[in-house]
Amino acid sequence: MTLFLQIALDGILNGMLYAIVALGLTLIWGVMDVINFAHGEFLMIAMYVSYWLGFLMNIDPLVSWVASSVFVFLLAFVTYKLMVSHLVGKPALSALLATFGLSMFLKNLCLNRFSPNFKLLPVTVLSGKTIPVGSLILSLPQLVIAVFSLAVIFIVYRFIASTRMGWAIQATAMDKEAAELMGIDTEKIYGLVFGLGGACVGIAGGLLPTYMPVHPEVGSLFGLIAFICVAMGGFGSITGSLFASLLVGLVEAFAGFYIAPIFKYVAVFALYLVIVMLKPKGLFGW
Amino acid sequence: MRHRQSGFGLGCTIFGILAILPLIPGPLQGPFAKHVLVMVLLFASMSQAWNLLGGYCGQVSFGHSVFFGIGAYGAGMAVVKYGLTPWPGALLGAIIASIVSLVISYPCFRLKGHYFAIATFAIVEIFNRLFMVWYWVGGALGLDYPIIEEGWRNFMWYETKTPYYYGAFALFVLVFSTARWIERHRIGYYMRAVRDGQEAAESLGVNSPQVKLTAMAISAFLAALCGAFFVQYNLRVDPPMVMSLDMSMRFVLITILGGLGTLWGPLLGAAVLIPLQEYTRAIWGGLGGGVDLIIFGLLIIVIVIRQPRGLMGFVSWVVGHRARARGRG
Amino acid sequence: MKWHWSKRVLALVVVLLFVGIAGDAAFSQEKVIKIGTLFPLTGPVALAGQRCKAAVETAVEVINNSYPDIKVPLAAQEGILGGYKIVLVHADHQGKPDIGKTEAERLFDQEGVYAIIGSYNSAVTKPASLVAERRKKLFMCGCSSSAELTKRGMKYFFRMAPTDETESQEFVTFVKWLNETKGADLKTFGVIYENTEFGKHAAEEAKKAIEAAGFQYVADVAFNPGATNLNSEVQMLKGKNPDVVFGACLGADYILWVRTMKQLAWLPKVCLNYCSGYQDPIIAQQLGPDGDYFMGTTGYSPELAELMPAVAPVEEIYKTKIDPPVPFDSDSIQEAVATFVLAQAIDKAGTLDPDKVAETLYANEWESPLSLGGKVAFAPGGQNIKAMSVVTQLKDGEYRRVFPPELANSDPIFPIPSWDKR
Repeated sequence: MTLFLQIALDGILNGMLYAIVALGLTLIWGVMDVINFAHGEFLMIAMYVSYWLGFLMNIDPLVSWVASSVFVFLLAFVTYKLMVSHLVGKPALSALLATFGLSMFLKNLCLNRFSPNFKLLPVTVLSGKTIPVGSLILSLPQLVIAVFSLAVIFIVYRFIASTRMGWAIQATAMDKEAAELMGIDTEKIYGLVFGLGGACVGIAGGLLPTYMPVHPEVGSLFGLIAFICVAMGGFGSITGSLFASLLVGLVEAFAGFYIAPIFKYVAVFALYLVIVMLKPKGLFGW
Repeated sequence: MRHRQSGFGLGCTIFGILAILPLIPGPLQGPFAKHVLVMVLLFASMSQAWNLLGGYCGQVSFGHSVFFGIGAYGAGMAVVKYGLTPWPGALLGAIIASIVSLVISYPCFRLKGHYFAIATFAIVEIFNRLFMVWYWVGGALGLDYPIIEEGWRNFMWYETKTPYYYGAFALFVLVFSTARWIERHRIGYYMRAVRDGQEAAESLGVNSPQVKLTAMAISAFLAALCGAFFVQYNLRVDPPMVMSLDMSMRFVLITILGGLGTLWGPLLGAAVLIPLQEYTRAIWGGLGGGVDLIIFGLLIIVIVIRQPRGLMGFVSWVVGHRARARGRG
Repeated sequence: MKWHWSKRVLALVVVLLFVGIAGDAAFSQEKVIKIGTLFPLTGPVALAGQRCKAAVETAVEVINNSYPDIKVPLAAQEGILGGYKIVLVHADHQGKPDIGKTEAERLFDQEGVYAIIGSYNSAVTKPASLVAERRKKLFMCGCSSSAELTKRGMKYFFRMAPTDETESQEFVTFVKWLNETKGADLKTFGVIYENTEFGKHAAEEAKKAIEAAGFQYVADVAFNPGATNLNSEVQMLKGKNPDVVFGACLGADYILWVRTMKQLAWLPKVCLNYCSGYQDPIIAQQLGPDGDYFMGTTGYSPELAELMPAVAPVEEIYKTKIDPPVPFDSDSIQEAVATFVLAQAIDKAGTLDPDKVAETLYANEWESPLSLGGKVAFAPGGQNIKAMSVVTQLKDGEYRRVFPPELANSDPIFPIPSWDKR
């Protein structure tokens, strides 16, 4: 029983990590109908920012996530202005391909600038700490990320649901032309949403170096899993992607232990297929 | 009718030029140039196979590396495990790929847009990981070809590239002729009707699931043949080589750069993208900083932004421009 | 005219392409031997590839120039074969076998290299060396570990490093030795490995060796490299609780594996690693005390320098070629050995005829101060039968030699102290 609970706990914590990574993707996808293929690379960049701040200036990731988040916000905003803004409304594939090119570019730029070394902050406030809860073991870095994840999702949810800017975002997502007629600067909204999507993944990336080494390939699998979570949750639904992420985390953990570790991602991808077969628009899609 | 004639002439001209290309003395004679030409033809064929479903029928699949891989494993298993020639393996692989594609896509075709695209992502990842642990087909270790007799029987040459070129050329002619035939045939019109609006097509009596499944089966069959060629060319196969998202992305990328849903788009895309990829790697790959991939990534971005309709869009703009100029003159 | 940024980029690349093609033709020199290197300079194992490339560059630097102070064959003289200099042509195979084959062909046919040194991933070395074999050209392999490579009966293929087969046997011998001389009573074994050509092959060899020795093989844990977490993998090990774990986890996965074991508060009694994250000095440093007490095979580490005094000055050159400067590791040093042995053989054969050089390579036993044991000699198929490695244990960031006893400088510490007792 302890083992079962421990596995469930690990699954939930990982699911919360996926949730914050997927959040940014959900926003961008929901509002602009654009798949950002470079999302995993945004995560990687955020991890590098946090790593370098820790390495060069001794700033703990608990603080430097702010910088990571701001940096990736700017990066995403510039990406929107230079690339994506030319592609909104064009065939859906164009943006996907352009961001695929961007992901290749960013990955190899980091390889070129930072070398392919695995970079790990040896000492951080959180690293390696665990909290025993009865007979269970709770990993502190993962717990902190989970808490941040919940908080950020809550804030973003409130922001979209009950601020003027949030309403403008919703209006733009529903009908761009109508929103423009209402006097909403949709160009600004798109830029903001793309940046916000980056900022969310920036927070995750800022905290990850507390237990995960940074290298140019680190974002790839995260990006893929984030796609799955977002699509499983349903087009642009924040709650949907939260539940889907938790489900993915749990399935991954249980399949990994009770079937075989090698099949854990197979189980996750199969889960997606099963869910969209039953609900073609995802769990919370409409 | 006139249009049809001129398209036919263009096709024959292109086939003719490609047929004599390796005989022209000059820079194309080098082995590396030949390799690039072989890759251009192979990826043009592969992208055309994808284009049948993705371009003409509007179903954007990122799962074609699975069929490509099944074809590769068909030929590979025939040679490595059973000591046969690759031919029966390639054929069987293509048939299996068609069947697998039908089984997979029957439920998946209910999904729309991004849900379908991501389902195909998931399928690639599942197949990749299952093949990695399926020891009957070599698992993670892959299949390595033994050193056997060269020639058309085994479809294998160690030093010369010219027969590979003609092999790729034959594949290219097969795939492009099929595509052109489909384009003019009733099924081709149905496919485009489904792409342009499934409900409207159905109201006119088109059986859209059947059309999509037909397109899928043909597309997967041709993709598997391309995969068989790929493994004969490399003499090794393992799952990451053939069944990966990267591989799928290449087919999509080439078609979109060339021109989605056009007959010559895949050739144009491959003729631009493959040499770029090969030559940037040859020139800058050795520097070791991933410079070639940085540049390649940038180029993809630039091309997509400049020309979202693909290079065929550019070509038709130029042709149209000239026609207009002639009209004025 | 105001250009869109994307147009500028396009124009720049076109110009660069032309410069690149033109620049190719510009370099030619009398009396050079072109040698190709083929390593994964990008992609998931780029780190190892770049270190290997730097090691070959180091060896060539020593061969081409006169370094009378370095006690390595060919260091004192300038060049080989009466003044021939080696020029390297680098290629990147990205860890992909198809690209490896293409690049090997390009190196031979287009660049006209005399031989290739490479290519780290066994999966790439296989097709790439086949290209060389068919052209009757030499392929020198430093550190690809798959035992298959040298069982193919090739004539022009030579490999320096010990194989995963010999490593597995060495591990089992070591465990038996612990049982016999230290009363360790280790019975059950588990293997954790990345499910790739490298990991899978190592695991198969491990299983063979473990079962041949009559031990119990209880846990076979394969995982996907580049995982986002290794919780279920470690839970699995914890559940089966083997006494001894063999690991084949590269780089980031190794870090994650060690950290996850700590988080789940579990450790085997003895943990032995194949050439993997364990041997990376930077990883050892980053893991700090968490990385202590793990063991693995080592062909070279700075702590072995007292056994191999000639390495230090060569290592100084190596450190100038890699950023950040690191000492040699077990893999990269083998690529330097491959370069030296090839140059020695050409020099001794007195000709560039590949057949003669291959014959010479087989016929002689080579002085190799960069190899543990100091000698290199080849069996038919191209395996270096003098290849040796020692079992080391990491303690306070140092690789301490623990086995075989005649090379050891300290006693192995086992069982590994549990996480809370450190």
